[in-house]
Amino acid sequence: MTAIASMQGVLKRYGPQVALDYIDLDIGEGEIVGLLGPNGAGKTTLIQVMTGMKPFEQGKVTLFGSSGNPFSYANKEKLGLVTQEITVFEELTARESLLFFAGVYGLKGKEKKNRVEEALAFVGLEEHAGKTPNKFSGGMKRRLNIACALTHRPRLLIMDEPTVGIDPQSRIHILESVKRLRENGTSILYTTHYMEEVQAIASRVVIMDQGQVIKEGTAEQLIQTIQHEEKVRIDVSDPDKVPVVSLLNIAGVKKADLSGSRITVVSAAGSGNLDRILSVVKAHTGVLGIQQDKPNLEDVFLTLTGKRLRDKEEEQ
Amino acid sequence: MRVLATIPFTLLRMVRSYIVLLLLLAMPILLLTVFAFILKGAVTETGEPYLYQTAITMVLTFQLFGGSIVMSYIQTDFFSEFRARIFALPFNRTMYAFSIMMCGTVYSILMGLILMAYTQFVLGVAWTNWLWAIYILSLMSILSSVVYLIITFAVKSFKTAERLSVLYGVSFVTLAGLFFPMPDNAFFRFMGSYGNPLALSVEAVLNMSRSNSGGAWFQANLLLAVTVVLFALMLLVGRRRMA
Repeated sequence: MTAIASMQGVLKRYGPQVALDYIDLDIGEGEIVGLLGPNGAGKTTLIQVMTGMKPFEQGKVTLFGSSGNPFSYANKEKLGLVTQEITVFEELTARESLLFFAGVYGLKGKEKKNRVEEALAFVGLEEHAGKTPNKFSGGMKRRLNIACALTHRPRLLIMDEPTVGIDPQSRIHILESVKRLRENGTSILYTTHYMEEVQAIASRVVIMDQGQVIKEGTAEQLIQTIQHEEKVRIDVSDPDKVPVVSLLNIAGVKKADLSGSRITVVSAAGSGNLDRILSVVKAHTGVLGIQQDKPNLEDVFLTLTGKRLRDKEEEQ
Repeated sequence: MRVLATIPFTLLRMVRSYIVLLLLLAMPILLLTVFAFILKGAVTETGEPYLYQTAITMVLTFQLFGGSIVMSYIQTDFFSEFRARIFALPFNRTMYAFSIMMCGTVYSILMGLILMAYTQFVLGVAWTNWLWAIYILSLMSILSSVVYLIITFAVKSFKTAERLSVLYGVSFVTLAGLFFPMPDNAFFRFMGSYGNPLALSVEAVLNMSRSNSGGAWFQANLLLAVTVVLFALMLLVGRRRMA
């Protein structure tokens, strides 16, 4: 896949503190790269370096394959940035804000108006286009924040935690919009510390911590790297009739424990024996419910770094 | 020039900032009206109504604070979270900052013009030479924008910058002896005349209306020279901060 943006050995320091530690990162054409990391991992610094806002000590940044200045106006015209903070003009209506940005990107006349209406419709704000953001909910402001980066149809869209502090409905709307953008051919770098978002939309996941890329791959690939066993919990109607010994005889099963009316069966990863386990159980007792534990990106992160992606307070 | 496309929106943002309208237009109109009632019929030794000089001084005094408009928008667009968005845009940031400065200055001049029109056509103040008064008003407005920007660029904390800018305005109003008489010594005499932009601008307007054009030009040129020097300083400090 052709890299639309790449960083090679980028080192960025804030005084003695290393923010980006010889980072290598590629974003392919039409790819959604999910950049996952806890607060302070270096995600925002990476974006600031990639957009030319912050200088860096060593390494190379290439945008759109050009060998010259990566932050030239020509390259910036193909780049869209959705900032972490809501950066919309409080005194301008949604439509006026978009007209401002469309004008900066050199759009004129009818095309400018059409692109603005297109961006408003894309984020579902067409009915609120004449209102100023002080009449918007947090989610609507976030959507306007995204629309401001879309009027010029960027080839690469960089989204820095675009769903922080919003309601679930707006979050779903934003995630759906991101998927549609990808379908239209836009490459996206999506940073977040919500692993479920990355799992839902990213074609590739990059995990960052302490200024370093510690692992990358598809969500499935990353999960497989830590998946050593599979666990299934089965609630049964008659626990006394559960054939624990028969379950232990199934190939791949490591452990079978009965606790109350629930039996927990642990198998080796990839043994694919759920059907066999169920048929053995069903032959002796009724099955009331099944729950299969699968590791997620949170577990991957925990395994790799020994830390959680979000603090407990943040989750609340 | 993509920055040109932003100018109508920058002006819209300023016009919709109701606090600015309240402080730099509504409040002076209210104060001028109150003074017009208080000073009704009072005349100076030369027979000129007291209100004339008071109104001219007040209109020019509010120009001292006009730079707050520019300060506020430069702070928002270049030194707040907005900075990242502005940096990602394909346009000349220096020109954009300059356009904000020009818009804010023009807006401040417009408010001064409204005040001039109000004092002349509603309160009966004779400005005598409107073109000259507008020139002096413009110089004061540009100077104010330049000073406020120097403070914005030189001080990291915006709160401190705001306080310093208020101090700039209030100090010169005080030194001009508008709140209470200043001590009679060389320093205060200088700071109440040639060392004070407010005193210079008021004297420039009054001298022209009294047909002392030589004195008026001298004061106006002093004001212009200070503005030019401070503009150069602003470019230096600004370049360092915006980098």
